[in-house]
Amino acid sequence: MAKNTTQALETNKISFWDKMKRDRWLYFLVLPGLIWFIVFKYVPMWGTLIAFQNYSPFLGFWGSEWVGFDHFERLFQNPDFFRVLRNTLILAFYETIFVFPAPIILALMLNEIRMTGYKRTIQTLVYMPNFLSWVIIASLTFVFFTTNGGVVNMIIEYFTGSTVNFLGDPNWFRTMIIGQQIWKDAGFGTIIFLAALTSVSKEQYEAAIVDGAGRFRRMWHVTLPAIRHVIIILLILRMGNFLDQGFQQIYLMTNALNRQVAEVFDVYIYFTGITQGAFSHSTAVGLFKGVVGIVLILGTRYIAKRLNQETLF
Amino acid sequence: MKQHNTPMGRVFDVFNYIFLGIIGLAMVLPFMYVIAGSLATEAELAARPFFILPETITFAAYEYIFSTTTFLRSIGVSILVTVGGTITSLALTLTMGYALSKTRIIGHTVMIYLVIFTIIFQGGMVPTYLLIRDLGLLDSLWALILPIAMNPMWLIIVISFFRTLPVELEESAKLDGATDMGVFLKIALPLSKPIIATFTLFYAVQYWGDYFNALLYITDNAKYPVMLLLQNIMTMADVRFGEVDQLVEQPDQSLTLAVIVVATIPIMFVYPFLQKYFAKGMLLGSVKG
Amino acid sequence: MKRYKKKVLLPVAGMVVVAGLAACGGNNDESANASNNGTNSNGDLSEERMSVRIMAPSFAPDPVGNDSPALQAIEDYTNMDIELQFVANANYEDRFNVTLASGDLPEIIVAYKDASFISAAEDGAFWDVTDYLDDYENLSGANEVVLNNASINGRQYGIYRSRPLGRNAATINTQWLENLGLEMPTTIEEFHEVLRAFTYDDPNQSGQDDTYGMVVSEWEGPWDQMQVWFGTPNEWGENENGELEPDFMSDEYRDALAFFREMYEEGLVNEDFAIMDSGEWFDPFVSQQAGMVVDVADQANRLQNQITDDYSDDEIIVDVFGGVEGPNGLQIKPTTGYHGVLAISTTSVETEEELRRVLQFLNDLSDEEPQNLSYNGVEGVHHEVNEDGTVDITSQSEGGDLFDREVRDLNQFQVAIPEEKFKLPPQSALQQRADEVMEENMEYVVPNPAEPLVSNTYRERGSQLDNIIDDARIQYIVGQIDESGLDEAVERWLNSGGTEYMQEINEAYQEAQAAQ
Repeated sequence: MAKNTTQALETNKISFWDKMKRDRWLYFLVLPGLIWFIVFKYVPMWGTLIAFQNYSPFLGFWGSEWVGFDHFERLFQNPDFFRVLRNTLILAFYETIFVFPAPIILALMLNEIRMTGYKRTIQTLVYMPNFLSWVIIASLTFVFFTTNGGVVNMIIEYFTGSTVNFLGDPNWFRTMIIGQQIWKDAGFGTIIFLAALTSVSKEQYEAAIVDGAGRFRRMWHVTLPAIRHVIIILLILRMGNFLDQGFQQIYLMTNALNRQVAEVFDVYIYFTGITQGAFSHSTAVGLFKGVVGIVLILGTRYIAKRLNQETLF
Repeated sequence: MKQHNTPMGRVFDVFNYIFLGIIGLAMVLPFMYVIAGSLATEAELAARPFFILPETITFAAYEYIFSTTTFLRSIGVSILVTVGGTITSLALTLTMGYALSKTRIIGHTVMIYLVIFTIIFQGGMVPTYLLIRDLGLLDSLWALILPIAMNPMWLIIVISFFRTLPVELEESAKLDGATDMGVFLKIALPLSKPIIATFTLFYAVQYWGDYFNALLYITDNAKYPVMLLLQNIMTMADVRFGEVDQLVEQPDQSLTLAVIVVATIPIMFVYPFLQKYFAKGMLLGSVKG
Repeated sequence: MKRYKKKVLLPVAGMVVVAGLAACGGNNDESANASNNGTNSNGDLSEERMSVRIMAPSFAPDPVGNDSPALQAIEDYTNMDIELQFVANANYEDRFNVTLASGDLPEIIVAYKDASFISAAEDGAFWDVTDYLDDYENLSGANEVVLNNASINGRQYGIYRSRPLGRNAATINTQWLENLGLEMPTTIEEFHEVLRAFTYDDPNQSGQDDTYGMVVSEWEGPWDQMQVWFGTPNEWGENENGELEPDFMSDEYRDALAFFREMYEEGLVNEDFAIMDSGEWFDPFVSQQAGMVVDVADQANRLQNQITDDYSDDEIIVDVFGGVEGPNGLQIKPTTGYHGVLAISTTSVETEEELRRVLQFLNDLSDEEPQNLSYNGVEGVHHEVNEDGTVDITSQSEGGDLFDREVRDLNQFQVAIPEEKFKLPPQSALQQRADEVMEENMEYVVPNPAEPLVSNTYRERGSQLDNIIDDARIQYIVGQIDESGLDEAVERWLNSGGTEYMQEINEAYQEAQAAQ
C-alpha cells in the first residue's frame, strides 16, 4: 500500500526539474556508478567493431582493414559450426537445468539444519572447492575416474566386473562437466540464497506451523518465495551468457576420444584466437554469442512477466 | 516450537544431516589432499595418487616460500588490493544499486538496460588496455581495482534486494524530514547487512583471485599480487597453453601445492568471519523458538 | 608448420648444452678485455651508451630488477643502458599483443612465431635482419637449420634464442634391463622386446604382474617422436615428385601406427593414455610401474631426482637413448632448435645505424663473459668457480631468493649463438650422458622442410586440421577405428582446408627454393 502512495506521487504531473530536484540525492548516488560504467564499460566498447575488420594490433584500429561481415561468413560457413553450436547448446541446456538449481537445493537443505555448529561447518566446507583451480580439479578427476586404477572405477569393477570409461567415452563427457561444475560452484552459490533467506522471519514460520503446515509445505510456501526474486533475476541474467562455458574446464577435459562432443564456442574461440584473425574473428564469435544472449534474456524476461514475476526491468 | 512434527520430517532430517555431511566431506577432501601434498616428498606424490596423510612430512616447500620476501610481499599487495577494491566496489554498487531500486528516477529503465548490456557485450582486452594506459593507471594498484570495480550482474541483484525492503520505513522517515541520502544511510544500509556481507565476500574473492589485470597492467614486480605468482608457477608446472622455455626449471609439485595453500588460505578465512551476518533472521528465530 | 597442442616440457636450467661446453674454462678478465676491445672497434656510436629496452618473459617469482649487479656488469661489458621489462610468463602472449597495440614497442622484444607476430612482421613492425647477420662474429655462426626454422618464409625477423635441436630422447629404467638381462634397445624389434619384457617378464622381480612397458599421456608428443623412428617424415616430407606432403600421407606413418596399435593391444602402454592428465605423466615411471618415457634427454635427470632425491652417481638407475633404428636407419625428430626470437622494433629503432648498434649488442651478449653473467651471475656474489671449471651457484644453494632477484631471468634475452659458453654446475654422470645423447642426435635429426613456410589456411584452421589427424591417430591406436577410419580422417582433412593448405605450402616451398 505504501508502494501505491509512491506511485501515486509519481503519476501526479510534476515537471522534469521538480523531479530532478526532488530526487537530487538519488541522482547523486547513481552518478559515480554511472560514470564508472561509461568509462570502463562503454568507452572500450569500440573494440567490438574490430569484428568487422582484419584487426592487427600493430596497425591499430584506424590502420586495420575493414572487411564487413567476412568473419561472420567464415564462422557460419565453417564445416564445424553446427557441431560446435549443437555441443554448446546441449551443454548450456544441461547447465541450466542441473547446475543452476544445485545451489538453490543445497541452500534449502542447509536451511533445514538446526544445529548451528554443524550448519556452519558444512557451509564452510562446501564453499571450499570454489578456490581450487580447474587444473587441480582436472587432475584429481583423472586420479579418481581413470580406468587404470582410479578409485571410482575400482569400486565399479568390484561390483560389476567391468570398468566405465568416464573420461574417454563421449557419452560421459557432459555428465562429467556438469558434475565438476556442481562440485566446484554449488557451495559458493548457496551464499547468495542464504543471504536472501535471512529475510524470512521466525513469525512467518510460526504462522505456517499454526496453520498446520508440515516441513515441505513450509519450505514450499515460506522459504522458497523468499528467494524467488533472486532466482528469477539470476535465471534471466544467466540467459545473457547462455553460450558461455568455462574455456579452461572444457579444454582440460577434452581429449582425442571425446572431442566431437567437447568442442564448444569458447574452445573454438581460443583456437581461432591464437591462429589468424586472432582478435577480429573471436570478437565476431563473441558478438554472435551476445546477440543470442540478448534474445534469450528478453525472451526469458517476457515469459517471467507473463507468469507475473518481478523481473526488475 | 516443536521441530520434528511429522515422521516424514524426521526421516528427512536424518537424510539431510547425513547427506550434507557426505557432501561436505566430498568437497573438503581434495583440499586436504592439496595440503597433504604440499607437505609430502616428490617420490610420495608420484607413488600415491591420492592421500590426506603424507608418510614423511617435510616443510621444505613452505620453508622456501617464507625464505623469500616475494611471497609475503605479494600477499601484502593482494590484501591491500582486496581491501581497497572491496570498499570501492561496495561503495559504487550499493549507491548505484539503491538509486536504481527507485523506479521513480528519470532514466531508470534506460540505465538498467545499459547495465545489462555490459553483461553481454564487452570491449575486449586491447581497448581496455589502451584506456588504462591513457588514464595513466599502468603500474598503479588502481589498475587492479577500477577495471573490475563493479560487476553488472551483482549490481542487478543488489537492486532487486533493495526493492524488497519494506517501503513503510522509508515513508515514515521521509515524513520526519529525512532526505533520500539519510534514508539510504540510516535505514536501507543497516537493513541490508546480509547483502552487504554477501557482496563483501563476492568482491573480496574476485579481487583476491584476479591475476589477469595484474598480468596486463603491472610491470613493477613489487606490485605483483599473489595470484599472479601462483599463476606463473602453475604455468611452469603444467604447461598446456603453449610451449614453455626449455631453460626453465620446473618447480616441485609440492612447491606448487604449497603456493596454492599459501595463496588460498587468507581468502578462505573471510567467509567464516562474515558468516554471522548470514545467521541473522530466520535461523536465529527458529533456534530460539 | 606449428602445431598447437598440449605440451608438457619439463626442463632443467643449466642442463641444456649444445656442443663442446666442457672446454670453456679460462680466465674471465682476459677474455673479457679482448672481446671488449673487439666491441669498441665496431661502429662509431659505441663511445656513448645507447639505452635499450628489452621485453622478455620472466619465470622467477620476483623478476630481476634493473639494479642487479649482474645486469650492471652486462651493461658495462656491452656498453649499453639496459632497461628490462619483464613480463610474467603466465600469459606473455596477451602482453605482447597489447604492447603491439599500444604503439610503444621496446627496442628488443621476445616474440614467438604465432599469427600476431607473423602479421606484425609482415606489416613492418620489426626489422628484417636476414642480411645483417653475417657481419657479426657470433651471430654469423648461427645454425642453418635453426635459422631456417625460425624464419618466416626464409626471412629473419629477429635473432633466435638457441636451444638444443637434438633434445628429444627416451628415458629407460636400466635396473629393469639388468634384471632381465637385456641390452639397451637399438632397433625397433629390440624396442618392442624390451617393452614386452617390461610388461610380462616381471622386471622388478616382485613376483607380481605390476609393471608395464611405457607410460604415455594425452599429450601426443611421444607418438610424433616415435613415428619418426619408423621413417615417417618430420611433419612434412618430399614425395617422388618433389612436392611436400604431410607426414600422415606416407606409408611409413601407417607402419608406425600399426606398430603402436599392436603395442597398445599387447598392453605394453598404459591403457588410459588417451585420457591421462599430462600432469600425472611421469608418476608411473617415478614409482617404477612403467619402465620407459619418451620425452626429452634432460628429463632423465629430473626423473632420477624424483626417484632418489639428491642422487649420487652410483644410485642412478635410468639411462637415455635418442631413438631406435627403423627401416631407414636411425632417424630422430628434432626440436625447432630455438625458443622465440629477439625481434627489433622498427618504431623504436629507427635508423640502420641504431639497428647495427643493437645487433652488435646482441652479438656481444653471446660472448663468454656475458653468457656467464646471465646464467650464473657475478662471481663471488652469486657463484663460486671450482677448480675444475665448474661453478657452484652459491646464491641458490644457500636458500633465499637472491639468485631469483638478480640473475635467473637474465638468460631470457641471451641468444647463445653460436653456442653456449657459460660454466655449468658439476654434472652427474646421467646429465653428462644426456648431453652426449643430445649431441649424438644431431647426426640423425630429420628437419621439417615446411617449418619456415607460412600458409593462410593453416593460420585460420590449423588447430582444427591438426586435431582431425591427431585424434584419428589416437582412436586408431586404441582400436576405435581401423585403416578405413584413417582414410576417412585424411579425406576430411583434405576437405576441411587441407587441400588448400598443401597447395599454399608447396607454393611457398617453391618460392623459397627459387630464392636460394
